[in-house]
Amino acid sequence: MRRPLLPILTLSALLLPGASAQPQTPQELVQDALQKQQAGDLQGAVKEYRQFLKIHPEATAIHSNLGAALAGLGLYGQAIPEYKIALQQSPALPGARLNLALAYYKMGHIADAALELERVHRQAPANLQAALLLGDCYLRMGRNKEVIRVLAPEEKRHPEDLAIAYMLGTAYIRDKQVDSGQLLVDRILRNGDSAEAHLMLGSAKLNVADYAGARDEFAKAVALNPRLPDVHVLYARALLLTGDSDQATKEFKAELASDPYNFESNLQLGAMLRQQQSYDEAEPYFKHALETRPGDPGVRYQLALLALETGKLQQARQILEALVKQSPQFTEAHVSLSLVYYRLKRPADGKREHEIVEQLTAAAQSRQPGVKQQ
Amino acid sequence: MLVGAGSGYGMPLTRRQWLRLASCAGVGYLLKRPRAAGEEAAPWFAEVPPAKSGIEWVHENAMSPSRFLPEALGPGCAFLDFDNDGWMDIFLVNSGPSDFWKPARPVRNALYKNNRDGTFTDVTEKAGVSGAYFGMGVAVGDYDNDGWPDILVTSYGQCILYKNNHDGSFADVTARAGVATPGWTTSAVWFDYDNDGLLDLFVCSFVDYSGVRKLACGNNQIGKNYYCVPRLFRPTASFLYHNNGDGTFTEVSKGTAIARALGKGLGVVATDINNDGRMDLFVANDTVQNFLLVNRGPAPKGGWNWEEIALQAGVGYSETGRPRSGMGLDAADINGDGWQDLFVANVDHEMFSVYLNNKDETFRDVAASDGVARATRLLSGWGMKYFDYDNDGAIDLFMANGHPDDMIDLYSMQVHYREPLLLFHQGADRQLHDVTSQAGPVFSKSFAARGLAVGDYDNDGALDVLIGVNGGAPLLLRNNAARGNNWLGLKLEGKHCTRDAVGAKIYWTAGGQKRFRLKNNGGSYLSSHDPREVLGIGAATKIDELEIHWPAPSRQVDKFSNLPANRYIHIAEGGALSP
Repeated sequence: MRRPLLPILTLSALLLPGASAQPQTPQELVQDALQKQQAGDLQGAVKEYRQFLKIHPEATAIHSNLGAALAGLGLYGQAIPEYKIALQQSPALPGARLNLALAYYKMGHIADAALELERVHRQAPANLQAALLLGDCYLRMGRNKEVIRVLAPEEKRHPEDLAIAYMLGTAYIRDKQVDSGQLLVDRILRNGDSAEAHLMLGSAKLNVADYAGARDEFAKAVALNPRLPDVHVLYARALLLTGDSDQATKEFKAELASDPYNFESNLQLGAMLRQQQSYDEAEPYFKHALETRPGDPGVRYQLALLALETGKLQQARQILEALVKQSPQFTEAHVSLSLVYYRLKRPADGKREHEIVEQLTAAAQSRQPGVKQQ
Repeated sequence: MLVGAGSGYGMPLTRRQWLRLASCAGVGYLLKRPRAAGEEAAPWFAEVPPAKSGIEWVHENAMSPSRFLPEALGPGCAFLDFDNDGWMDIFLVNSGPSDFWKPARPVRNALYKNNRDGTFTDVTEKAGVSGAYFGMGVAVGDYDNDGWPDILVTSYGQCILYKNNHDGSFADVTARAGVATPGWTTSAVWFDYDNDGLLDLFVCSFVDYSGVRKLACGNNQIGKNYYCVPRLFRPTASFLYHNNGDGTFTEVSKGTAIARALGKGLGVVATDINNDGRMDLFVANDTVQNFLLVNRGPAPKGGWNWEEIALQAGVGYSETGRPRSGMGLDAADINGDGWQDLFVANVDHEMFSVYLNNKDETFRDVAASDGVARATRLLSGWGMKYFDYDNDGAIDLFMANGHPDDMIDLYSMQVHYREPLLLFHQGADRQLHDVTSQAGPVFSKSFAARGLAVGDYDNDGALDVLIGVNGGAPLLLRNNAARGNNWLGLKLEGKHCTRDAVGAKIYWTAGGQKRFRLKNNGGSYLSSHDPREVLGIGAATKIDELEIHWPAPSRQVDKFSNLPANRYIHIAEGGALSP
């Protein structure tokens, strides 16, 4: 679900005198950074915020501003510590906690996002954006009763909001309160040929592996509202599952056009390009994905494969060794690490990794019912 | 003109030989005839219906409410010339009695004799090759070097070896030969791993399906049983039989990598991946890694040294490190660099692999870049073959597909039980291009295809295709796609090496193009192919130079030049050439 970042905090601007052409003082520095941020020069703003914070690390609002600028660049992993510093210093800093939650959300750290959003929601129950995001987080976490708790009051206040109806209706149905859910679903469907309705139907079909049906619903949703959150990603996923990688590529790119740091789009596009041996094109997508979710094992594995396939064996080895150390049960990483060792002419290490693969495979096989029955 | 005169090659043809060869040029001439005005182009591959071919046999898959897995995997098929009349006959494998099925009426394999006019006659009863178990696949080879092809039938139950009696009948010599392989065997291949001039035998073993291990899978979305995924069952080791030269075999896998490699084998091809003159084995496994068994020669303390290198070679797992459901496979030098490349077909969403040989016992998968991966994303591939269907000299690819689960249509909207055939043509850019839509009406149909064999049943130089269909009639496809291109067909006869000349290397030059082919054996799925080699030469009208590099023990090289096109010739090791 895509939501715009909150407006950049301008608290510091209230404390500072007018700007000059060349920032000379710390105050001028931060004012210039603010202007750059508002003008969209996020790189410039980040640079100047950091310069300022070297001098005044205690400037709470500037940490928050820096976080917002970093988040605007998709650097959520770097934004989060800045928000945290700001919140440690000023726990009630307006907007900072919601921005922190948004950064977690964008990185796919849904549980962390929900934790922060719950605090925002308690402090500001009228904040619709926080309620919607919190409902979405709970929906993704499968906590349907929490979705209902958060969104049922909102639905009464905003009966025309199809996003609320969609999430709340889905939660009711998943919670086996089918009648309540059906009422909301009907409202969406009665609302005419809406993008939300097709998105909902498509998601339902995707969940029951009706990929072709999901694809057709998502296509209609895209046609009706191409700006609907995640609509391109879901459409692309269904397209991939029905064998149309060309159109899937276009849809992932459409998602990135409005959300350049969309994790799934970056990861999938990178993987598809790597498979097609378009290695130079693949790498930036993986890097964007890793910026969104630093340390993500799936992205790191793709980067290892990229390094392996482009002959950068030492780089591949380093990534894979770290991956299997962190996740000893990651069989695929052991397979690739074994391959890398053999290519590095380290057959003993390759054999050792191969043996680990065989042990993991045998363990998995031993849990199968056809083996257990004796 | 004397063929070979002044060429410096060792085996010039005499005027008599040349005249005899030239007198056989009729078929080739017909191939080159211009199309009359208004004449409709024949489809590249035209379905030959049972009413026309006389092949009325239908596969019995024994599909039961319990959905026992062996029901879903057959059948295999073969082109072979069992009566040595120079025309390809057809063998079709059927199911049969087992510990989970007792047929209510007799079920049997089928042997069809080629009537040389496009029709076939069922001679199964006289031949005595009806089978006795739940049949799976077939491997044809002249294991006793008597010049007559013998038949091995794999099955769930026990393998059967039928020795050719030279009179249209076969004798079941399984017990005497020592190849009564138990369990569930699938593809098999005849090859000479120790280069002693005798065909040895490798038999793929699938999963342990014995006794109580017959699981019932089901009560799924539609409340019925369905075929269990092979992942549920225990893997098994395959079998390697050494030919003792006296009509018997010894199982020799014990203590080797073959016995240690526990797999779920479905496909096998014998090839030489490192050009060391020893035939290696590539085995496709279902839900576990594939095996690349490299033949390292005699072991220091006796026995034979096999090394399993699939993982390090890059052909064991998907490029993302996952085992796939390998089924059909093949090997050929598809890019003309003199090294054997590989192919593996998997199930839907796993994509198939086109592995190019890096010449250092490693491979790289180029399926994604040449479009094969995209075309096969939703398909499950079984029988398939690398061959030059249009005789332009470049290796193409034919694939037969079908999902193993007959209920897939009920819970998947885009994957189907019956699936289309696929045809890829290798272009001048060395890439495989999907030409399925141009190949004829049969490619618009869908089949539960399994085994696939290629062979030139009408001796027109264009390799035809035979497909085994699970629970249905076989599909015989006549190849019209090679019209306009020239060819030379070779029947190689080993004298020191195996009679079938498995492992021979063929080099030919025509129209300024030099090409190479290794006489592999096996490949596809459960099936066996025309043992002759058809060399496509495109617009060239003759073979300028031909070399046969016979495998060990002789390693002899026979050379020929200026061979006229569009006919089959017989070449015996040592250089004797005849029509």
